[in-house]
Amino acid sequence: MTAYFIRRTLLIIPTFIGITLLVFSITRFVPGGPIERMIAEAQRMQVEGGGGAGAGAGVQRQPLSDEQIEFLKQYYGFDKPLLNSYLAWLGKVIQGDLGISTRYQDPVWEMIRSRIPISLYFGLIAMALTYGVCIPLGIVKAIRHKTAFDNVSSIIVFIGYAIPGWVIGIYLLVWLAGWWDVFPLGDLVSENFDELPLLQKLLDLAWHSVLPVIAYMIGAFAAMTFLMKNTLMDNLAADYVRTAIAKGLPFRRAVFGHALRNSLIPIATSFGNNISVILTGSFLIEKVFNIDGMGLLGYESVLERDYPVVLGVLVISSLLFLIGNILSDLCVAVVDPRVQFD
Amino acid sequence: MNDVILNVENLTTAFDTEEGQLRAVDDVSFFLRKGRNLGIVGESGCGKSVTALSIMRLLPKPAGNILSGKIDFKGTEIISLPAGDMHAIRGNQIAMIFQEPMTALNPVHTIGRQVGEIFSLHFPEMNDSDIRKASLEMLKKVGIPEPLKRMTEYPHQISGGMRQRVMIAMALACRPDILIADEPTTALDVTIQAQILNLIRDLQAETGMSVIFITHDLGVIAELCDEVVVMYAGQVVETAPIRELFHNPRHPYTRGLLTSIPTLDSAHKKPLKVIHGVVPSLDDLPAGCRFENRCPHAREICSTAPPPLVDINPNHAAGCYFAKDLTPWKPVNTGSGDNNG
Repeated sequence: MTAYFIRRTLLIIPTFIGITLLVFSITRFVPGGPIERMIAEAQRMQVEGGGGAGAGAGVQRQPLSDEQIEFLKQYYGFDKPLLNSYLAWLGKVIQGDLGISTRYQDPVWEMIRSRIPISLYFGLIAMALTYGVCIPLGIVKAIRHKTAFDNVSSIIVFIGYAIPGWVIGIYLLVWLAGWWDVFPLGDLVSENFDELPLLQKLLDLAWHSVLPVIAYMIGAFAAMTFLMKNTLMDNLAADYVRTAIAKGLPFRRAVFGHALRNSLIPIATSFGNNISVILTGSFLIEKVFNIDGMGLLGYESVLERDYPVVLGVLVISSLLFLIGNILSDLCVAVVDPRVQFD
Repeated sequence: MNDVILNVENLTTAFDTEEGQLRAVDDVSFFLRKGRNLGIVGESGCGKSVTALSIMRLLPKPAGNILSGKIDFKGTEIISLPAGDMHAIRGNQIAMIFQEPMTALNPVHTIGRQVGEIFSLHFPEMNDSDIRKASLEMLKKVGIPEPLKRMTEYPHQISGGMRQRVMIAMALACRPDILIADEPTTALDVTIQAQILNLIRDLQAETGMSVIFITHDLGVIAELCDEVVVMYAGQVVETAPIRELFHNPRHPYTRGLLTSIPTLDSAHKKPLKVIHGVVPSLDDLPAGCRFENRCPHAREICSTAPPPLVDINPNHAAGCYFAKDLTPWKPVNTGSGDNNG
């Protein structure tokens, strides 16, 4: 088992190189990027500064000289061949240096670090609520299969599944924040947050969190609930549950003492992957609710072609994902004694 | 008759399906004497397992239901017993072992925990070390080598025969009055089958329990049982003491079963004797005798109404219009002639 996990951990290295090399090369080939952005900015300044006269001609003309562009290329490392600059970037990453944002001139690691608590906050709440609601709901639905409760909850869960989380977020905002004004329109805290006493601070935070958390949860909800329900129903029909009841166990104890742990095995397989979801958040939901987390950072850095940030977010999220996979394996081994990993 | 420990009368069990209500067990009666072995024999789907599950009240819910009948266990009417009282009977006074030892144990609990559970359930006064000792004792009793090591192992780490021994250890832990063994050896290979059957017989001699053996294997019946109930399409077609059944079968179906057993001196490389045709489907049962479409003796009367069980002698009954008129039976092991005709 130890050998297996050492092997899996070592496999992170080539996988990580594969992921980052791929994205690194993409950043070289897609249009946009810091130099083009700078050219566009220079053009705009020229147009605004030059006033009305000769504006048409000014837009056509390249505002930066070849030497200036050459200097910029050198500054951003675009002058070297792809592999060389990738290796240079990788070398820095290994030393813990994710580079400097081309847009904000801040260290990328600082930018990411300041957003981690926000993403962690939403991620943990959403995960706790998802597991805390889906597992009991799945259990009740399995035991009360085909009753009114089961059917109605299935319909609700499927509607939630059919609509993407960020779309639900928009609807929630329009209805509950726009029309009825029950919840705030976005942001993590109110403007006067710092002046509030502690209890009110917590209430304010919770008040702002309700809608985003719902939007976060809604997608995973259906899959998790039905995974729980279906595996539990399979297990309830299994021979060993009949054995348990034949031993004299009441049905409830057979469910919770025997069927439940077996039913958690498939759920455990996805558990580890949650850590990447928790920390990296959701690009779109954070955009909709204007929450300044990892998701929004990643989203904006892609739009702005802020490549060091794009790659920095990628480094963190892919590492988390790879570690999460190993964690999942560990979780399965913990719940299922048949899993040996030899 | 006061040594009768279990008396099943006119038991009818049905399943609700999309085709409607199907009577898997239809008006079945038999009794079990204290310390004796009863065999229930019949082919797949004849209702023998459903009969057992009805006695245990383990029918799959909500589809399976007992429609009518009585099951009298030591003076207690089981069918109408509240669920809570049934928990005290199951595993404690009536225990059951199943066909599939591979799946009948919980894969994520240790053997020790699964055996120990039955003690903690029925003897709440036992403490952990008592339970451990008693579990170990049970594993020793059913002949599991290295029982101490097995206690901490999981079902996937032991063989099918060992798992069935664990099942038997659990079933016998509370010294039940009745053990229901539902095809306990079907999934095991032949040498293990013999070991398991011997084990059950030895433990029975020790505890004096009664056993209901459910099987399609007449060999197992011949070896272990005192009395036999032959079932066909949800009904009892013949009940008889074991010798009587093998020497003087009075139902054409029983005769068919006996003739289809290959013997040492039966002709080599010849097809085995078979009962032609198929069992009528439960949603399309004939008005008359259910065996009529496959019976070599069928006449007009057979398709008019179901034949009653005819008493051949006080212990032997057969559900055939011609039960008394069939030709004398030539025992199977002569291997000659067409006994089915």
